[in-house]
Amino acid sequence: MTQTLDTAVLEARDVAVHFGGIKAVDGISLQLTEGKIYGVLGPNGSGKSTLLAAITRLVPLTRGELLFDGTEFQRTSAADVARHGVARTFQTVRLLHDLTVLENIQLGADLHAADAVWRRVLGETKPAAAVIEAIERTNLRGYEKLRPGELSYGTQRRVEIARAIAMQPRLLLLDEPTAGMNHTERQEISHLMKQLRSDGLTQLLVEHDVQMMLDTCDYIFAMNFGLLIAEGAPADVVRTPAVQDAYLGKKWRQNA
Amino acid sequence: MSAWYDSHLVLIQSTFVGLLLALSIQFPLRMGVFSFAGVGSYGIGAYTAAIVISRYDTPALPAIALGAVVAAVIGWLLSFLLARLGGLYLGMATIAFDLIITVAATNGGDLTGGPTGLFGIIADFSMSELVVFTVVALVLLALTERGRIGRRIGAVRDDPELAASMGIKVRRYRQSAFVVSGILGGCAGAINTILRTTIGPTDIGFSLVVLALTMIIVGGARSWLGALIGAVFFTWLPTVLTVVGDWQHLVYGTIVALAAIWVPGGVLGLATTQYRKLEQRKRIRDLEATARAEPKPATDAEELAVLEELVQSTPGGDAT
Repeated sequence: MTQTLDTAVLEARDVAVHFGGIKAVDGISLQLTEGKIYGVLGPNGSGKSTLLAAITRLVPLTRGELLFDGTEFQRTSAADVARHGVARTFQTVRLLHDLTVLENIQLGADLHAADAVWRRVLGETKPAAAVIEAIERTNLRGYEKLRPGELSYGTQRRVEIARAIAMQPRLLLLDEPTAGMNHTERQEISHLMKQLRSDGLTQLLVEHDVQMMLDTCDYIFAMNFGLLIAEGAPADVVRTPAVQDAYLGKKWRQNA
Repeated sequence: MSAWYDSHLVLIQSTFVGLLLALSIQFPLRMGVFSFAGVGSYGIGAYTAAIVISRYDTPALPAIALGAVVAAVIGWLLSFLLARLGGLYLGMATIAFDLIITVAATNGGDLTGGPTGLFGIIADFSMSELVVFTVVALVLLALTERGRIGRRIGAVRDDPELAASMGIKVRRYRQSAFVVSGILGGCAGAINTILRTTIGPTDIGFSLVVLALTMIIVGGARSWLGALIGAVFFTWLPTVLTVVGDWQHLVYGTIVALAAIWVPGGVLGLATTQYRKLEQRKRIRDLEATARAEPKPATDAEELAVLEELVQSTPGGDAT
């Protein structure tokens, strides 16, 4: 009945996740509009990862509502959230070590495999177009036959991102995707995210690297103690005194 | 050939039955479901077949099919009951299930023949039928180890949370493990009853859990081939070990213990690891060769990056 003015891919209303007495997320409301890169900034333990877990339904909500394209999904399963078009990466690398890089990425595209029974059983012999595209975009050509154990940490992270992209999501959640990467690799990820944005993919980035946030995001949410303490354009948010006190420290206050 | 075949017929048949039983324990394990309910299913299949054949003269194939269906349905119901359990607790609960089946068989009165069991269960089941039956089961299971289904089963086993966030309905996969295990175990039990023409509570006891597990641990837990290796090994080992006489059980136990310690992935796991090492070395050699032969600036950088990763990740000395 009440239509939002712009198309919100994801809307969270007063989302809270409590673990016993610990209020990891304590009433967050946010709207993500199509084709933008959003960032979540905050110190360790501020509830950023729990927020992502809540959105992907990996933890139960204590209260609040989640809407994806206007449809409620706070009661759907994690698998159904993924089927709705929400893909994510994790804070720690979670690749399957028995599978090759190619197979790990194929696991993402498996979400959309054809329904024909023979295909389900046999599995496609040639990788799907989405897999090849994900490999190209993350610069993983030549790594296909290797296994995660043979890769550097930064490359493993790229495989994770490739796997999420291969799911062809409408919303991509990235939990510290550049942790353990060097400067060049970080820039590559930032570049990749902007490319994906130009294709219309909505993204939510959780990151510690403030510079990367400033370079990449269109809009930033700052969290502390499970609450939003500021939101807005990146440059404005990092100037907010509350954010500087909670997270950024002296250097940023002087620059501001 | 024929003389050897005749004198070893029982062992050959046991190999097939042992393989089906091992597969019924292995399939759930491949999904990370520590269920030993396959042995209970074996008991259910065995008694179902025995009862319908002795009372209604049912032919072998329908009797086996019925045993499999009954075991599968009970496995499916069990999956709801045990949905919240995992790891050791699930293992314990399913072993309890196996023991309950034994107790039910012992106290089943006329229906199960009580402690003495049922005798004279005669139905025609040829060797070729047994072979076809087993091969079909192996082909179907082999298909679940490949492609999309293979990857997804691996994800459910190694990281259920990740699997869920990839759109995989983990709970449904786990429940299907109970059903498939029920079918395989039920078939194994029913076939064994028909081949032996008799069934009793002592034939479906805890020792089957140990037997199936040793087959999988020594053969390999990840693939049907591992179960096949294990089934052949442990069905024929006792005949080989008759040479050592009274020491047989000690040698048997030692082999299992050593395998568990030194070859945790089983014979097949060991082979896979060695094969992958060879693959890796070959890749390094190929990359080094191309890097030396034609230094093309554009692709060279990519190849060198791959090479560097490989060398970094290979323990010292192994690479050369």
